[in-house]
Amino acid sequence: MTKTIEPTRSFRAHRRNRARWGLALSAGLTIAVAVVFILSMTFGSVTVAPIDVVLATIGSPTEKWHTFIIYELRLPRAVTAVVVGLALGASGAIFQRLLRNPLASPDFLGVSSGANVAVVAGFVLWNLTGYQLSLAAILGGFATAAAIYFLAGRGGISGYRFILVGIGVSALMASLTSYLLARATLNDARAAMTWLIGSVGMAKTSDIIALAIALAVLLPASAMLGKRLRVLELGDGTATALGANTRVDRALLMLAAVVLVALATAAAGPIAFVALMAGPIATRISGRADESIFRAAAVGALIVQFADLAAQHVLATPISTGIVTGFVGAPYIAWIIIRANRSGAA
Amino acid sequence: MTDLHTLDVAGLTLGYEDKDIVKAVSTRIPTGKITAIIGANASGKSTLLRGVARLLKPRAGSVVLDGKAVHDMRSLDVAKIIGLLPQSPVAPESITVGDLVSRGRYPHQGWFARWSAEDDKAVADALESTGTAELVDRKLTQLSGGQRQRVWIAMALAQGTDILLLDEPTTYLDINYQVEVLDLLTDLNNRTGTTIVMVLHELNLACRYADHVIAMKQGAIVTEGDPCEVITSEVVEDVFKLQCDVMPCPRSGTPMVIPLGRHRVAAVAGA
Repeated sequence: MTKTIEPTRSFRAHRRNRARWGLALSAGLTIAVAVVFILSMTFGSVTVAPIDVVLATIGSPTEKWHTFIIYELRLPRAVTAVVVGLALGASGAIFQRLLRNPLASPDFLGVSSGANVAVVAGFVLWNLTGYQLSLAAILGGFATAAAIYFLAGRGGISGYRFILVGIGVSALMASLTSYLLARATLNDARAAMTWLIGSVGMAKTSDIIALAIALAVLLPASAMLGKRLRVLELGDGTATALGANTRVDRALLMLAAVVLVALATAAAGPIAFVALMAGPIATRISGRADESIFRAAAVGALIVQFADLAAQHVLATPISTGIVTGFVGAPYIAWIIIRANRSGAA
Repeated sequence: MTDLHTLDVAGLTLGYEDKDIVKAVSTRIPTGKITAIIGANASGKSTLLRGVARLLKPRAGSVVLDGKAVHDMRSLDVAKIIGLLPQSPVAPESITVGDLVSRGRYPHQGWFARWSAEDDKAVADALESTGTAELVDRKLTQLSGGQRQRVWIAMALAQGTDILLLDEPTTYLDINYQVEVLDLLTDLNNRTGTTIVMVLHELNLACRYADHVIAMKQGAIVTEGDPCEVITSEVVEDVFKLQCDVMPCPRSGTPMVIPLGRHRVAAVAGA
């Protein structure tokens, strides 16, 4: 008897430890996001103490002018950093795990650049604004995702084929964007350029609302799909044998990931490499294959928050968030490629 | 103990793109036995296994489980009866053994179902019977080839199926690990009566461990049956284009295939 009960108990202990560790990490990351959220609103032309930030945010400010500073100037930016980061982190982790490749982020798959073209075209050619631009971003993201899926997905799903096709499509989209910029008026081109570098500072309320709604729906949905992702990432063979409907599950997960990255792009421009870095960093923090999309999302939020803090305060004049993430992301990619080559991973 | 399932392959044709690889194959897999599918490269042996495991859609014919075509059944229902270990399974880089084996419970969990005591027991049993229980906290990448293969088998066992398909479970393993894996599968078969179907490269090990062999050539079954009866030098020459002697193993009595080749073999009187 004891022979069958003992192993069960020891495995149960292993599983519970794992669950507890995961929960502790999620709680820790949530607290970190909240703390940075408050801190990011303390600094600026005038410093507002963290406690005053909290009080002003919940509507009982110590000083009347706090309300103006927080609500009009700093809160929108802080909220944008969080929601954009959550969306990018979740989206990147889904793509990377689905395609089983750390380079398989929307940055490389062309999904971001597809959303870019649509937004720039909507802005320059048809003077679209607000929700129209969000919609354009989603359509652009889907169109490129569909094109890449069609070009790379025949005869099975291979991560590297997706990335190579994605890089090609990205290049095509970049030249389309350049073409649109070249024929735009000087004012439009300037505005579009700023957007194209990516900054949380310029998000419109409508963008943030659209993204927040999408997150409220898609983060829990992704968490539920996470069970299927855990099986899908074992490869189509194992997943099918385990009873998964690989086509449908993959389509649903990609749908969620594309909507998230497209709306984040519509809100803040293509903030480079956040989607690429969030998942692997979450994995590194947890010290094992991190199955939690939420933790990747939280890490994404932290990256954008810190990047934006640096963008605003490190240099004498504020710069765009995307410049900071690009600066950090480029060496990171070099590191991944060097590491992949060394271990011979294909 | 396991339920008695019947698994039939009925006129099954499988292929990739414009080429048929398996051509109108029919056979009945012996229930509760170990079956080895053998054949040269490109004989269609792995393709046949993949077809039975539903990884390929039949071009004609069907795979029939308990009288029903598997492609018409709910995928999750089939997954409770037929498990598969693919040839080169992939896993996330830093996955732990416990995590991987747990994922074998997928078909037993619904959208909202919580992890149950039954799941705990199934995973623990799978770890125990593959001798991987003490590895639960280790990362898959830290293990030796033999350990890794045992962990994958544990994942397939956690699925709790009465039929287990394995696509070349011993390829890329050192000879000692090959024997270890086959011993483990035989233990499983003896203990629980699980029907095992595997593609094997190594002919002598197939003869030793299988109750039933299916020899394939050019997408069709050449012969099948008890290895002691069907593995003859004529069959091996036909299937593998290899001149050989077949003699009973002095230890097990199962057929042993000795390739002749062109060198270092003394002429036998009367040969």
